[in-house]
Amino acid sequence: MSSRLRVVAVLLTALVAQATLLTEIRLQGATVELMMVIAILAGFHGGPERGALVAFFAGLLQDSLLSVPLGLHALVFPPLAVAVSSLEQRMVRSKPATDAVALLLATTAGIFTVAGVGLLFGLSPYDPETLLVRILTAAVMTTAIAAPVNRAVRWAVLGGLPPDIKLRTVGS
Amino acid sequence: MAAKRPVDRPRPTLLIILAAALTLLTLQFRGLQPLDAFQQGVRDIVEPVRSLSDRLTDPVQTAWNGVFGFEALRLENERLEVELARMRGNALTSEADTELLNRLLSEVDIAYSDFDAVVVRILGQPPGNFSSHMIEVDKGTDDGIEEGMAVVTGAGLVGRLEQVDRSRSLVQLATHPDFRVGVRLVTSQDEGLAKGTGTEGILRIESGVRLDAQVDNDEVLVTSGGRSLFPGDIPVGKVLDPDSDADYRRSIIIGLAADLENLSFLKVVLPAEKPEGMR
Repeated sequence: MSSRLRVVAVLLTALVAQATLLTEIRLQGATVELMMVIAILAGFHGGPERGALVAFFAGLLQDSLLSVPLGLHALVFPPLAVAVSSLEQRMVRSKPATDAVALLLATTAGIFTVAGVGLLFGLSPYDPETLLVRILTAAVMTTAIAAPVNRAVRWAVLGGLPPDIKLRTVGS
Repeated sequence: MAAKRPVDRPRPTLLIILAAALTLLTLQFRGLQPLDAFQQGVRDIVEPVRSLSDRLTDPVQTAWNGVFGFEALRLENERLEVELARMRGNALTSEADTELLNRLLSEVDIAYSDFDAVVVRILGQPPGNFSSHMIEVDKGTDDGIEEGMAVVTGAGLVGRLEQVDRSRSLVQLATHPDFRVGVRLVTSQDEGLAKGTGTEGILRIESGVRLDAQVDNDEVLVTSGGRSLFPGDIPVGKVLDPDSDADYRRSIIIGLAADLENLSFLKVVLPAEKPEGMR
């Protein structure tokens, strides 16, 4: 199976999961941002260009599923993927705990940005009274389910190939 | 320093992607039909899976709620008992209000209960985190309902249909900050534009009603009809604060008649003159 087909399979599976099971699981009204975590992890594993492309299509599918204008998430996800990829390239060491914290921060920033861009385009997507709690809850829930998603995204974007060999020198 | 991937051209790619996303957004706001059709197509493709998932997870949800929602259910029961006692105490007032409303509605020769309607079942919140003050219901264009139609309960206005797919729809609740409805005060006959506040059970009129208009506490409001999307004379709520002391801009607070908590079924009001083929 080619890498593109694998990405399509992962995105469609995620779309269905987001529309069905994950919609039912809510805490404080917040739910998992599955397509966003796929965009972030695509940037992490696939590099900035491939990550941005996967993130764009993840955003389009998310826009189609939700009652938001087409292009809203597709506008936010690619820069998020590129930013994560850029940070990943600059990290000297990577541990599961730091990766989880980084993912939590990236998800929180992503949801904030989506809310902000939504407001710029005249949407009022969040109840201002519960905005912060909802965003943080959604970010924590999203981070909690990241482990299996990480494996799927890695399989999709790397296609079973070993990741790029990176030469890093500390302090240069 | 990380080795640069030889095939990566992140900057041009990102710029092209951002331009594409902005173009899509612009076209969507300009009302390009194929984009709406694309979004609806994606939702229609996912719809059978969602329906199947709903059916499969219903028993699990019921069991989950039974186990983990017992305390909430007990508290809700206690709250309802208190509410019932309060309502009994206010029975005379309510009867008087109902009588007043019925009398005024009969004057314009329209009975609220006479509207043709489609009964819909609430499925829950729509997917994603963009769903404050929105709920999803189980009927769509296949059942003859369309965007913009009023959604009511026996107590009055609940909201409007915001997005209608083939077999599902989204209801924008009256408390949504983007919700607008023309209302009429039944005693003074003044009309104004009420809008959602984002606060549970509260609407606000900020335009239309004259500064010197006599508006009383607990005065009943109904939809004004006319050029509004909604039929007239649907009960909306009661005045909680008439803001009679306003000097420049009047802001009348309305308590919504319909309780938006714990709803299971709603009615979508069909237009008085239905097109052929519509139920």
